[in-house]
Amino acid sequence: MPKLQDLQAHEVVQGIKEGLFTAEEYVSSVINRIEDVESKVRSFITLDSERALTSAKLIDRKFKEKEDIGQLGGVTVGIKDNISTKDIRTTCASKILEDYFPSYDATVIRHLKDNGAIILGKLNLDEFGMGSTTEYSRYHPTHNPWNLDYVPGGSSGGCGAAVATGECTVSLGSDTGGSIRCPASFCSVVGLKPTYGRISRYGLISYANSLEQIGPICRSVKDIVMILNIISGKDIHDNTSMSSSPITINNKIDKFNIAIIKELIDGSDLEVRKTVYSASEKFKEIGCICNEISIKNLHYALPSYYTLASAEASSNLARYDNIRYGFDLPIAEYKWDTYFSNVRKNFGEEVKRRILIGSYVLSSGYYSKYYLKARRLRSLLKLELLKLFKKYDLLIGPTMPILPFKFGEKIDDPIKMYLVDINTVLANLAGIPAITLPIGFSNGLPIGLQIMAAPFEEQKLIDVSNALENTINIQRRPSLI
Amino acid sequence: MISKDQLGYLAQISKIKLSEDEAKKFPEQLDKTIEYIDILEELVSGDSFVLDLQEIKFDELRDDVIRMSGGQRINKNLTKDGFLRGPKMK
Repeated sequence: MPKLQDLQAHEVVQGIKEGLFTAEEYVSSVINRIEDVESKVRSFITLDSERALTSAKLIDRKFKEKEDIGQLGGVTVGIKDNISTKDIRTTCASKILEDYFPSYDATVIRHLKDNGAIILGKLNLDEFGMGSTTEYSRYHPTHNPWNLDYVPGGSSGGCGAAVATGECTVSLGSDTGGSIRCPASFCSVVGLKPTYGRISRYGLISYANSLEQIGPICRSVKDIVMILNIISGKDIHDNTSMSSSPITINNKIDKFNIAIIKELIDGSDLEVRKTVYSASEKFKEIGCICNEISIKNLHYALPSYYTLASAEASSNLARYDNIRYGFDLPIAEYKWDTYFSNVRKNFGEEVKRRILIGSYVLSSGYYSKYYLKARRLRSLLKLELLKLFKKYDLLIGPTMPILPFKFGEKIDDPIKMYLVDINTVLANLAGIPAITLPIGFSNGLPIGLQIMAAPFEEQKLIDVSNALENTINIQRRPSLI
Repeated sequence: MISKDQLGYLAQISKIKLSEDEAKKFPEQLDKTIEYIDILEELVSGDSFVLDLQEIKFDELRDDVIRMSGGQRINKNLTKDGFLRGPKMK
């Protein structure tokens, strides 16, 4: 039997229900793992071991008394620190929220707790989710567990690294332009950005509402399905949320018609390209048809993404006025003219840059030149994709065009950093679901395959991902030397 | 090129005080970003239109009813020395 901390979510629940180990034993093994590796990886901003052990004891008591322990009884979950958790500090990796304790649980957290999951702590990210490396976290960067000198991806870098190293069973991240898929790909785990609306965003601290979704990061497709089914659904607190059918794991799959997006392949590194092509051969082995296609307006996707995301950020982050949450300043500093700009100087550089760009594209004279054009492009891309999905079941390409890179490589050049997101923003602009699966390594660094489907067609994504996962056998746990 | 004045104006409407270092390096960095998004100008808008991802109808909105929430906890975030403190009006 594998070590307790290496178990997948469904194995944890089964083990506890069969009496093979207790929830307390399992949670203790995960906490021991954190003690062993956290100083190297630094996934957490806030760790809540004590409360996690108390919840584990409660699960054990329920089990003894023959009560239902829930579908996720004993599973430890790490939460990206931009999802509200009642009475657990929620910082968004920002100094502005360094002492913020939400008064309520996000809907996804409520669903997890109702099903017996144990919230272990809050995971690192780039400040407010703006970045692709966790280097913009105002606390500390997270390290890639496959090579500690490299970035883990972002913005949900803590989520990717913690799941890969076994510091939690599964994690919840958020994806605005690739923030779940990028770290999942860089850390060799599975990450899903669901269809816009499948999961309630209530309690997710907003950065760009029209683009972002909460989603699971796990060590297997089966665990993704388990978490997805529990956190999905219409929520009275989020009017963009919708009800959807539960997803199942099927052993037999349809012969899907799959299209490889030429532009995503062409712009990628040679090693990434080769690995993606060999994965597409595996699709053929499992009976699917693979063709290469082109998306006409794809090169406009990233500039429109950054226009829209920055515009929404400049509006959303206006709420940080230091009155309802923030710093306690000396009375002399409470002057009307300078108060707000003085406290808001505590945002990090990348957040400031995006707020300034957002103000620029929304200001009079530039609104129709940038913001409106970006909105129009978004609608064109969505229409083009919907047309493609009439002919193809799934679209594929590399999740990341490059391998994980070293710290500091791109931090001083915003455009270089933005280009990292070039393959992932499409799914956010169109609101479609996208999954990343680990498919191989180059020089010890992970490569991920991205699969996209039409809105609410997650079942197709899962079917093909599960089949591919069973075909490709790759190393799952970094040695962390 | 974003001028010093323009950057100052953007910082003012964004209510952000920039450090000396930021005031020095931001113009070039923001220029590069604007140059990059300028590609959107190529897009011929002729037959394209703005399509909302999801339309929400008024009658689908939830009823506006008062619900109890965690008052104590909210107070903890709100208060400084037991008071809510805001900037002094002119």
